[in-house]
Amino acid sequence: MKLLPDGALDRLQEGCRTIGSRCNQLGISQWEVVASQSYGHQIDIEGGKISLAGGGGEGGYGVRVLEDGKFGFAYLVDVKSADEAISSAISIARMSPSIDGFVLPSEQSAKKVAGLFDKSIIDLDSEYLLNQADAIISEVSSLDARAVVTGGGIGVSANAASILTSEGIESGGLTTSHGVGVQVSIEENGQLTSSWQSKSAKSKLPNVPQCIERAVEWAQLTRDPIKVDPLEDDSPILMTSEGFSPLFSVVVPTAIKGEKLVRNESFWSGKMSENVLSSDLSIIDDATVESGKSSGSRDDEGVPSRRNVLIKDGKLTSSLWSTRDSAQQISEGRIESAHTTGSAIRSGHQSPPVSGCSNLFLTSSKKSHSFESMIEVMGDGFVINSVMGAHTANPTSGDFSVTSSSILRVENGEIIGAVKQAGVSGNMANALQEGVFLGDDVRPQGSYSSGTMYVPSVLLTKGIRVNPV
Amino acid sequence: MVLAKTPDSMVSRNDNRYLDVDKINKSLDLVTSNGATYAEVRLVALNDYSVAMRDGKLERAIPGQEIGATIRVLADGAWGVHSTTDISSLQEQMSPTLKLAQSVAARRSAKDRPIKLAEVPIIEDSMHWVPKKDVRNTELSQRLEHMKLMNSSASEHENIVSVTCGWHDENIHTEFLSSEGMNRTWSFQRSLINGMVTARDGGNVVSYRTRFGGEGGLELIESCDVDALGENARISALRLLKAQRAPSGKMPLIADRDLTGVYIHEALGHPCEADLVAAGDSCLDGKLGQKIGSDLVTVIDDPTIRGGYGAHPIDDEGLDTIEKCLIKNGVLTEYLNHRETAEHFGIKPNAGARAQDGLHHPLVRMSNTLIHGGTHNDLDDLVDDVEYGVYACGSRGGQVDTGRGSFQFAAQEAWLIENGEITTPLKDVSVSGLTLQILKDVDGLTKESRLAAPGFCGKGQTVPVGDGGPIMRISEALVG
Repeated sequence: MKLLPDGALDRLQEGCRTIGSRCNQLGISQWEVVASQSYGHQIDIEGGKISLAGGGGEGGYGVRVLEDGKFGFAYLVDVKSADEAISSAISIARMSPSIDGFVLPSEQSAKKVAGLFDKSIIDLDSEYLLNQADAIISEVSSLDARAVVTGGGIGVSANAASILTSEGIESGGLTTSHGVGVQVSIEENGQLTSSWQSKSAKSKLPNVPQCIERAVEWAQLTRDPIKVDPLEDDSPILMTSEGFSPLFSVVVPTAIKGEKLVRNESFWSGKMSENVLSSDLSIIDDATVESGKSSGSRDDEGVPSRRNVLIKDGKLTSSLWSTRDSAQQISEGRIESAHTTGSAIRSGHQSPPVSGCSNLFLTSSKKSHSFESMIEVMGDGFVINSVMGAHTANPTSGDFSVTSSSILRVENGEIIGAVKQAGVSGNMANALQEGVFLGDDVRPQGSYSSGTMYVPSVLLTKGIRVNPV
Repeated sequence: MVLAKTPDSMVSRNDNRYLDVDKINKSLDLVTSNGATYAEVRLVALNDYSVAMRDGKLERAIPGQEIGATIRVLADGAWGVHSTTDISSLQEQMSPTLKLAQSVAARRSAKDRPIKLAEVPIIEDSMHWVPKKDVRNTELSQRLEHMKLMNSSASEHENIVSVTCGWHDENIHTEFLSSEGMNRTWSFQRSLINGMVTARDGGNVVSYRTRFGGEGGLELIESCDVDALGENARISALRLLKAQRAPSGKMPLIADRDLTGVYIHEALGHPCEADLVAAGDSCLDGKLGQKIGSDLVTVIDDPTIRGGYGAHPIDDEGLDTIEKCLIKNGVLTEYLNHRETAEHFGIKPNAGARAQDGLHHPLVRMSNTLIHGGTHNDLDDLVDDVEYGVYACGSRGGQVDTGRGSFQFAAQEAWLIENGEITTPLKDVSVSGLTLQILKDVDGLTKESRLAAPGFCGKGQTVPVGDGGPIMRISEALVG
């Protein structure tokens, strides 16, 4: 079955033009039509075998209209229902508050970002993915005869997206992705340990990505837990990229939004130009990274993408803005000046744009450390590879209280064994303020809020409480 | 415990179809004559409306319509699936989907058990849960009125820096045709209102979320005292500003209905899902009929509780939904299953198949999950003999590792219990434990059991669920 039908992008752009023409005919002063269509193949693995092969496609259109600073939005599946959607959007706009100075962005040339489309993915068929699934299942059992892929799967997709606006923005393109995720379990002597690992990219992945070996390794490492006495004091923790990124992604992308900052809804509100992180740390949002998982030449309202340095050497320097959010906060008097930072994001064609991050990097000006050297630096503490409940972290305060069953005890700079389960709590903003060491192993990870987290393993030495069972 | 069953007067049997039944049936016949043992088409047409308001001003309103359909073909003991928003392509995708299933089957070894489906009654009908007030007829201004009420009661304090209110309603229309002759259409509605209050005092910033909703139309929101909902959220947010960090360690825990619901959903509900059990990813594998909890613990999952956020009349394999009793007086009595896992375990199908929408295939899922009530009169009765512990309220969500049987859930607010008295407010309390241990440690339940605030459950796909129960006491839980 062919992954990407011929002329997919052309049809989408034609649909945008049809809806745009109707907006013009109806005399709407400013309008924006976005469209997305995705096609994919997918293989599910359960209980050590392929359980299902699937595929398909989905997509639709979204239309935003703007008159006198008032906006309305509606989405639709079929261009034939454009009039109904436009009419809904207009009636919503009429009931919306007017935002002084809010106009849709005008056309600016945008630089193409390379590495977002891999033609070889388009040529992959279900048979290829079935072979890849078999190879992964075999690799797991060859790495450890006890290990089984109890869940997960493989997917490839091709996505067409398009935007057309009354302000002259007309852009569209194709992107691809290839992803693998596995839950590897080892059950022996009544003891079950497991590890989830995944890898995805815009280009074709190796037949057996490295994450497979890591999944088996962590299912092995967490076996035969030792008893650790309750601890009175805070403990240093070394979190792998996989363990750290879920917590980071709940807390930081929200706190760094411009509107959250000026509304006093962020723990970094009122701290612009102040030191908020350890002085060697920087946070950068960059949608222009070649092959970046959340890269694109334009943001989701057509503004050229850019690199935004949000925190530089520990100091809060900037924040993320979309066109509407910036105009609204100025018109409501919360800030004197703000402009789009090319940071508008949407959840597909079904939502109007809001501010959010793309590829969010946590970096250090100091030398990065190997995993082993950070364990030595830690002395006594814990290594954490995954946490449960990261989504329950509080993005407003930065507080979190999670549980880990993929945790190792470190004493005198050496791993001495696994811990069955432990509660881990602290405050992300405080923990990143001092005594932070970054590893040399940056791996892009998904996000609970928006974008992709490019974070390494991180050693946090202050303000974390670990409560082992 | 009061469980509202579906009165006949609230069921309509009128029909409007998106699928061309004759054409789809012909292609289902064709695919079975070409080697499929079973094939189905399920279409879901969703009309929904979302609204967001911030500080009393309309932030955005999003009306939308989605149509998606999924073909499932079972051939030689393996599944092929195709999902699409292009309904006109369904017939032409039937054969390629059969080939997918055959490709998977060809890779199976002799020791792999072929997938078979448990037999079920073949039904041709339509069933529509008709709300008293069809939410599709609601004007945006009506929606905003309710949200403004919540906003105004939530924002009345100088320390409240922001109030966000949300609304979501949807009409879900499903059509199901199978090669076995099943031909069913059903529909129902869900409505939800929510709010988030952010409070600040100097550098201390906290937030509190509130939510009300369920299966039903506008009448559901009209039945809610949104003014009180907003006021309570404000009071809680202001209290959190002064709350202290929670103690950590093992101690008695009392959970309100919200947390009891999340606890039973995470700790027991997920490990009871038969697809996870069959995949070797559940700590309850092989434990049917065994005593796994305290005598006090009886747990049901019931999609027929009208008004519950997880209520639905027919499951996504076309079976009439029924109440399932997962644990009775501490004994594991039933897994939640779908046709594949019912056949796998040789048990009766109990209509536990749910898909996120028309573009996803059904998995075994929960619906409305509750612990039955116990013998304690009220909260005071449970707190009385606790020397040092925590009373935790309101859910910020939870998660479970079904294989290991470990779980975590987080409370919105909590209090310390000292010498039988509720004392200091606490914040950021989470609770973790092991399913097979903590079910045995339930040592007190209040008499009245009912559903708490609506929720969402993620398992690769997101579905709305209702959880709840009585106020519950656990003799020892790991609090962090």
